[in-house]
Amino acid sequence: MSYFLARRIAGFVLTLWAVSIVVFAVMNVLPGDPALTILGLDSTDEARAALRERLGLDAPVVQRYLAWVGGALRGDLGQSYSFGVAVSGLIAERLPLTVSLAISGMTLTVCLALVMGLTAAARHGRAGDWAIMLFSQLGIAVPVFWLSMLLVLLFAVKLRWLPPGGFPGWSDPVAAARALVLPTVALALVQSAVLARVTRSAALEVMRLDFVRTARASGFAPGHIMWRHVLPNALVPIVTIVGLQFAGLVTGTIVIENVFYLPGLGRLLFQSIANRDLVTVQALVMLFAAIVVTANFLVDIAYVLIDPRLRAGRA
Amino acid sequence: MIALHNLTVRTTGGHVAVRGADLAIQPGQRLGVVGESGSGKTLLALSMIGMVPEGLQVDGQVLVKGETIAADDERAWRRHRARTMAMIFQEPMAALNPLVRVGDTVAEPLRLHLGLDRAAARKRALDLFEETGIPQARRRLGQYPHELSGGQRQRVLIALALACDPDLLIADEPTTALDAQVALRITDLLVRLSQDRQMALMFISHDLAAVSRTTHDIVVMYGGDIVERGQTVRVLSDPAHPYTQGLLAARPSLMHRERRLPTIPGTVPQLFALPPGCRFAGRCARELPQCVGTRPPVVATPTGQAACHLPGAGQT
Repeated sequence: MSYFLARRIAGFVLTLWAVSIVVFAVMNVLPGDPALTILGLDSTDEARAALRERLGLDAPVVQRYLAWVGGALRGDLGQSYSFGVAVSGLIAERLPLTVSLAISGMTLTVCLALVMGLTAAARHGRAGDWAIMLFSQLGIAVPVFWLSMLLVLLFAVKLRWLPPGGFPGWSDPVAAARALVLPTVALALVQSAVLARVTRSAALEVMRLDFVRTARASGFAPGHIMWRHVLPNALVPIVTIVGLQFAGLVTGTIVIENVFYLPGLGRLLFQSIANRDLVTVQALVMLFAAIVVTANFLVDIAYVLIDPRLRAGRA
Repeated sequence: MIALHNLTVRTTGGHVAVRGADLAIQPGQRLGVVGESGSGKTLLALSMIGMVPEGLQVDGQVLVKGETIAADDERAWRRHRARTMAMIFQEPMAALNPLVRVGDTVAEPLRLHLGLDRAAARKRALDLFEETGIPQARRRLGQYPHELSGGQRQRVLIALALACDPDLLIADEPTTALDAQVALRITDLLVRLSQDRQMALMFISHDLAAVSRTTHDIVVMYGGDIVERGQTVRVLSDPAHPYTQGLLAARPSLMHRERRLPTIPGTVPQLFALPPGCRFAGRCARELPQCVGTRPPVVATPTGQAACHLPGAGQT
C-alpha cells in the first residue's frame, strides 16, 4: 500500500514538473512583445528595453524558468502586466468562485449520471432505458454555451426565477448560490450525459456477474442490489471517466464564466489572453493543468479505496 | 411445501426446455436431481425460487406453502427468497461480491430481513460461520472473498443461504467447481445441516455418487423431462429407465478397471432437435416404434416411477 502510494506521489510530482516545462516553453516562444503590449505602439525602444529588463525578460531562458518555478513554489506568481498587481492576488480573489462552480458542477454531474445510468441499466432494453439514452445523446450533442443561453432565456428572462448572470459576491450567500444555479446546471447537464452512458454500460457489465444473482436469491430489493452491489463494482470505470471529465469541467468553467459574467478564473484567463498578459496566462494555465493532474492522482487513490484486491496486489 | 404442477419452460424460439414437470418437496426431504447439462435441472430449480431468466416463458403452477405464485411476481418471490427457500450455485469464485467482507455479506440478509442491528448480525454471522465449518471463523469474518479458498467460499455461500433459516436449500451443482476432497466435505456438510435444521435439501448434480451420498429421493432428468424417480438407493441399484441404466453403466467402477466404459451412444440433442415423443428416442437401446412420436406415460416401477414405453431391467 505505502509502496503504491509512494509511486503514485512520485508520478504526480514528475507530471507536474513536466507540465511546468511545457507551459513555460509554450508561453516563451509565443510571438508578441509584452513590453510593447504594456507600453503601447508609440513607446520608444529605450523604454521597452528598460521594461523588459525590469521584468527580467532579457535573462537566459533557464534562469527565467527557475525563477518562475521558485517563485511559484513560494506562492509568488509574478506581477500581472495588465492589472498591475500580483497574479497570486488576482487568483486568490477568483479561486473560490471557480472552485465552487467546479465542485457544484461535478457533484450535480455525478448525481444525475448515477441516477440516469443505473435507472437505464435497470430498465435495460425497455422504454425508460431508451428515453434516458436519447436524453443523454442530446446532452452530448448540445454545446455548453448554447445550452447556457437557452437556460438563461427560459429561467431568467421568461420565468424570472433566477438571475441571468453576474455575481453579487459572497457577503449574501443566498444571492451567491442563486447566481450559481444556472451555471451549475449548464455544466452538469452536458457532463452528466457522457457519464450516464458510462455508468449504464458499467452497470450492465456488473449485472451479468454471479454475485448479483446471489443477491437476488437472497431476496434483496432491486434498488438495494443496484446501489449496494452493482454500483460499487461499476465504480472503477465511472471514477476513471470522472477524472477525465474534470479536465472538461475546468475548460467548461472558462466558457460558462464568460456566458454568465462570473468573475472567476476562467474569465480572468479569457481577459488575460486578450491583454497578452503572459505572466497571468502562464500562471493560470499551470494552475488549470495542476488541477487536472491532481484530479487524476485522486482517481488513482480512489481505485485502491474501492477495490480490496488492488490493495493486496500492490502492497 | 414447494410443489410444481405441469411446469413447462419455453425458450423465446418456442423450444421446450422443461416439459410438464410435476414435483413436490416435503419438509426435511432430501431430493437429488440428476441429469446432464441441458437436461433442464437448473431451470427446474430456478423456477422454484422465481429466478428463471428473463425471456423464457414459464407455464404451469408453482405452489409455495400453499400459495400459487406467478413466475413473474417478483414481489411475492422476494418475500419467500432467503426465508422459505435459498439457493447456492455452482461457481463459488464469482458468487460473492468481491468488494464486501464475507462477514458483512452474511450479515446483510440478517440486517435487512430479520432487522438485526450491526452487533447482533455479526454475532449471528459468526455462529453461521462456525456451523458451516469455516476454520478461524472470527478472523474470516473480516476477510474478502479473494482471500478465501474455493471450499471456504462455498461454505460462506452456504452460511449466507442459511442466514434466514430457510425451509428449503437448493444446491445447484455446489461441488462441481471444487476438488474431490473438498467436494466430499461440502456434501457431508449439506446433509448434516439438513438433518440438524430439519431443512429440505434439493441437491442438483450430474455426479451420481454425490447424489447417492446426499439424498434419500432422486429425480432423473433428460431433455427437459423427468424420466425416472424414486428412492435414491433403490433407483440407483435397480433403474427402470434406459437412460438411468445408461448413466449408471457409464460410471467408472473400481471393480471393472480393465474394461472400457460403456457410453450412451450419441450426444444430448439440442433443444430444437429433441424428438416429440420420448426425448431419449434415438439414443435408446430398447427403442420401440412409438417412442419417437408418442410421449411415454408415467408408469409404476418396482423402485418408483418411470416415463417409458418399455420400462424394466436392462442389461446394465
